[in-house]
Amino acid sequence: MNGFGGTILRINLETGEIKRTPTPEKFAREWMGARGFVAKTIYDEVPRDADPLGPENILIMAPGVLTGTFAPAGSKIGFGCISPATNGHADSNMGGHLGAEMKYAGYDMVVFERISPEPAYLYIDDDTIEIRSAGDYWGMGSLDLEKRMKDDLGEDFQIATIGPAGENGVVYSCITHDFGRQAGRCGVGAVMGSKKLKAIAIRGTKSIPVHDLPALTKSTYDIIQRTKTHPLMEPWQKYGTALFVGWSNEHGCFPSRNFQTTYHEGWEGISGEKLAEEILVTHKACFGCWINCGKYSRARIPGKPDIYVEGPEYETIALCGGSCGMTNIHDVAYANYLCDNLGLDTMSGGNTVGFAMECYEKGIITKDDLEGHELRWGNIDDFENLVRMIADRRGIGEVLSYGTKGAAERLGRGTLAFAHQAKGMEFSGYDTRWYSAQLLSYCTSDIGAHHNRSWAITADIEIGQDTPEGKAEVVIYLQHIRPLFDTWCCCRLFWGEVDVTAEEHVDTIGYLTGWDVTFEECMQISEKIWNLTRSHYLERNGGPGRQFDVAPARQLEEKVPSGPAKGQRVGVENFEFMLDDYYHNRGWDKNGHPTREVLEILGLPHVADNLEKVGLLGEPFVDGVPKVRGKRLKPKAM
Amino acid sequence: MIIYLRSGGKLHDLLKPDVDQYTRRVETHEGATLVEILGELGIPLVMVAFAFVDGKVRKLDYVPTDGDVITIQSPVAGG
Repeated sequence: MNGFGGTILRINLETGEIKRTPTPEKFAREWMGARGFVAKTIYDEVPRDADPLGPENILIMAPGVLTGTFAPAGSKIGFGCISPATNGHADSNMGGHLGAEMKYAGYDMVVFERISPEPAYLYIDDDTIEIRSAGDYWGMGSLDLEKRMKDDLGEDFQIATIGPAGENGVVYSCITHDFGRQAGRCGVGAVMGSKKLKAIAIRGTKSIPVHDLPALTKSTYDIIQRTKTHPLMEPWQKYGTALFVGWSNEHGCFPSRNFQTTYHEGWEGISGEKLAEEILVTHKACFGCWINCGKYSRARIPGKPDIYVEGPEYETIALCGGSCGMTNIHDVAYANYLCDNLGLDTMSGGNTVGFAMECYEKGIITKDDLEGHELRWGNIDDFENLVRMIADRRGIGEVLSYGTKGAAERLGRGTLAFAHQAKGMEFSGYDTRWYSAQLLSYCTSDIGAHHNRSWAITADIEIGQDTPEGKAEVVIYLQHIRPLFDTWCCCRLFWGEVDVTAEEHVDTIGYLTGWDVTFEECMQISEKIWNLTRSHYLERNGGPGRQFDVAPARQLEEKVPSGPAKGQRVGVENFEFMLDDYYHNRGWDKNGHPTREVLEILGLPHVADNLEKVGLLGEPFVDGVPKVRGKRLKPKAM
Repeated sequence: MIIYLRSGGKLHDLLKPDVDQYTRRVETHEGATLVEILGELGIPLVMVAFAFVDGKVRKLDYVPTDGDVITIQSPVAGG
């Protein structure tokens, strides 16, 4: 089959059985890769009552149709499972070089089943596949282990690892690769750890068959020529995403001190400019990328060893930095390194430490809970002590290992009001009190709060920051187009920043596969996946669905106390209006349940049957579902 | 004096390039800040995250000099 590796692997970690089956072209065409493969497979195979960290959950690793090809930054690979953070569909992806290597070895998806009796790692060298002992590796840090395995196996193996947090089941553990690229979200590292799978090593030397190589070559050449002189290349290459720390503060959406306010005093010390001036060592790119947004940095802190880390990028600066009260870029880079090596997502990890710092400030967590340490805003020693306790699940670290929602449920005392999460996964680095479409994006996201499902900050500005009207449709549109890139598996930056259109990516898919595919078809696939993951969430968690699409009280009710957004809040009435509008425009009923009509339009009649059996199918629309769902306002790029 | 503004992405259509695909030639007076220049062009300041001149990030109170080539960028999220 053109455009793909051609084989699906199933690995039973309990018995050691390895099965190879050809990748069905119908499956590839209908689900396109990573996010789609994950959604379809876990819906079909994982029992609805399976414990996310138990043997019945599966862990999937899958690149997409564009991975490893000439497509700009076709670098991505997705990991998926049932999330221990949300108890729903999880997919999380990373750049780097692992995805391309896996396709060059000939594989489109690996499904890990059951639990290994001993710590193990997967070894793939083209057709040689082995489950090897990881006894010597268990307990090592993610970054330390990647270096060790490169030494043991050879530089040309691409390695993915988990850290101690993943081994210990912290629900926001990540999978790390390429010394700083993470499948960070949804707790995929905890599921990998629950299977006693410490690492994955892949070397592939084959190629991917292409339908029309001359057309693909010409198209790619034209894109390279056009984009290499694009004016926005240079700032991206020089600063990466960290450059937006300043704008975010000046426009009142930067989280400061656990989202207590949205302008962080001292942000200049953790800005992109400061990163470039003080800690930048070199630039770093993923497979097939000529933007090089990755920044490799060195942090120097008196009394601590110098460390090297990829980052910090915007989200890490916002959540390990601003939300934890830091004002020194060396401290943020060090925090980034700690999370990476321990195997914690810097986004949920930073967010959870910020939450704990506010609990400490309020006297809800004390020194007695912290093994005698303090937990002061902006203090890197305190940050280090706590993240080590979390990774080991010691003391209060056990409570915080469940994330902000799980911790708030255990701590009580009103802490849920300032737990910045949706469905159990923490907010990205944007406060939403002046950006209501972003709040709607977080709260309706199928995997929990994540900006890569829908980043609506500029849409809020374009539509109007003071109105809830018109927000739902743009959020729906963004929830289809942004995750489409996680389905195809290429980076969004070429689309968002240097004017490579989504339609050009679709053309690339056509040249690769020979499929007569259109942008509209791809968007409908994305909508199909969204409805499938929503239905799956309901089947696992019950109804009404509306009870899960809830916002933190601070975002709804507390006015921003300072900075450019001073006095802003979303308000319950506005949020409920947007939610009604959102459900209606998706073709769901007022409880947030997909209706049979929309599921059948999307080719999911069996899902409607399943929802009906458990009493969760949406009530029919009197006038029929909207013909166009989420397209009235088609924003350019992001 | 003449300056050249360059951009892409969300700001491309607002900038209305006339020199090449990404560049607009702008005649302005000495001492004008970018805030004033962008305002005269009808580009919403809230949509401009920063300016980039000679490899350096500049705030919008930057005062261009004759012949400056200035890249402006809208806010975006990562990829």
